Amino acid sequence: MLQYWTAILTEAAIFAILAMGIDMIWGWAGDFDLSAYAYFALGVYMTMVLTIGKPHAPVTYVFGLHLFFPLAVVLAVVVVVAFAAIIGAIALRSLREVYFSITTLGAVWAIYYWVENYTPLFNGYNGVYGLFDPLGGGLSYNAYHYLFFAACLIILLGVYLLVSRISTSPFGRMIRAVRDDESAASVYGRNVFWAKYRTYLFGAGLAGFSGSLFAAYIGAFNPLDWRPTEIFVLYAAILVGGRGNPKGVVLGSFIVYVGFVELTRYIPSPAARPELGPALRQILIGLLIILMLKFRPSGLIPERLGGDGTEGRRSWRTLFAKRTLESKDSDVALGAVSASGVDAS
Amino acid sequence: MTQLLEIENVTKTFGGVTAVSQCSMSIREGTVVGLIGPNGAGKSSVIDLVSGFERPNEGSIRFDGREIVGKRPDQISRLGLIRTFQTPREWRDLSVIDNVRVGRSDLERDSLWRAVTTSRKLRRLEEGETGELRDLMTHYRLDTVRNQRAVGLSGGQKRLLEFARIAAARPRLTILDEPMGGVNPVLGERIGEAIRELKRNGSTVVVVEHNLPFIERTCDEVVVMDLGTVIAQGPFAELRDNKRVVDAYLGNDDE
Repeated sequence: MLQYWTAILTEAAIFAILAMGIDMIWGWAGDFDLSAYAYFALGVYMTMVLTIGKPHAPVTYVFGLHLFFPLAVVLAVVVVVAFAAIIGAIALRSLREVYFSITTLGAVWAIYYWVENYTPLFNGYNGVYGLFDPLGGGLSYNAYHYLFFAACLIILLGVYLLVSRISTSPFGRMIRAVRDDESAASVYGRNVFWAKYRTYLFGAGLAGFSGSLFAAYIGAFNPLDWRPTEIFVLYAAILVGGRGNPKGVVLGSFIVYVGFVELTRYIPSPAARPELGPALRQILIGLLIILMLKFRPSGLIPERLGGDGTEGRRSWRTLFAKRTLESKDSDVALGAVSASGVDAS
Repeated sequence: MTQLLEIENVTKTFGGVTAVSQCSMSIREGTVVGLIGPNGAGKSSVIDLVSGFERPNEGSIRFDGREIVGKRPDQISRLGLIRTFQTPREWRDLSVIDNVRVGRSDLERDSLWRAVTTSRKLRRLEEGETGELRDLMTHYRLDTVRNQRAVGLSGGQKRLLEFARIAAARPRLTILDEPMGGVNPVLGERIGEAIRELKRNGSTVVVVEHNLPFIERTCDEVVVMDLGTVIAQGPFAELRDNKRVVDAYLGNDDE
């Protein structure tokens, strides 16, 4: 049971990183991207072919190297960002909203069928497999997985801190201004394409990076493992947690991944209808998206609103820090007054 | 005084429709100029051409002596030109004060690299500006709503937020497209005052407006457009007796 939970939570942590990347593109920049699963998958494939060594016939794939894992991760992310640079340059130049989404949808299926059918690339629909040990070997199977889980949690924390730092920075504010009104942003000197493009590449890079971690975890990867439509599970996670808020996105990823993707496996399927369980899971995720949009469209932890420091923060982290803040800074008391509508300043 | 904006023989057609035709005007630095004319005269098209949202078919537009035809809106803005639109265009899901911060902030501060590497320094820099921004909020009567989402503001507050944002950005030229649209008379006075403040703070202002008493009170000079071109330019009092101007506004039966 412990192994089972370790496995689920490891995957959830990896998907949380992917979700943060997608949220940068959709939540911050407002571009409903559908090709992020391709960036994730390319990250997985590239990491594998750079670390598992030469293919043995009849398996074929490119590179087939035995690189040091961190180096393979860096190269994989570089390749992913290069792909995203091409797709983003086409899709973001002048296309917006549904036209942008359709273009990225076309891109992801083009990559999908290319990978599935062109066997010299990543062995076609049979996929790439082979074990490698980024932690250096010498560990038992279980010890490896526990240690890998711990590593994933630490990496998730690091990525979270990085992403929230950008989210609350002037850059994070500017990209949301671009999202809310492009023309007004360009009137204030912002190059809309360049702002969106940078965010897109960063988000795609995170998607590729999460794929690299996934590669180290699964050991086999084929096109059945990354149906592009499954990106809606990630959008569900972002919606549940809170679009535009990295903390919410991490929370939503764990809720959706653990609660809906894994626990619904326990839904019993009659022997005659084995497809019932998976189908019900899809239905439940659809239902979750609809209910969230209806009753709590900004998610469990909504996007942070940048104030002037007197607004009294709302997030859980500051729930217990509030008292010390009040005693330290008289402005906070002023904020409480202005929040009730009688401004003292 | 030098000419800040010079428009020379600019023509713009949309399909078969000529919106602006051989239009020329110049705006002196430090003045408040009203741009008036009946509906369809080409006023908004001229604004779009000057701010880079449309590209003229022919003609030249110079800002501070520099040719700006062919430049993107953000490039023109960085030369010191800010325009508004007929409806207020707040960044809806940003707080009111963050709207003004984006106006105040510059491109260097927006850098993604700096966001990662020098976030603490950036935060201190922004905290140092908070007092100044709060004064600005109070000045534009936005102090009670400064930490709220901009989308929740009333129409009048959104107009004032535009002025606060412009004041924070300190442009050399401000072009206001119907700033009085949907505004009650009391707030209208405040907006007139805001325009005079922009001038006092060194910005040249162009105002497109249908409210002629407001134009008379606020502007040093008036440019009248009709059928895509400038038919008169000068102080308001002089234009009152200009037959072409009166005809353009009231229509004439001779044609």
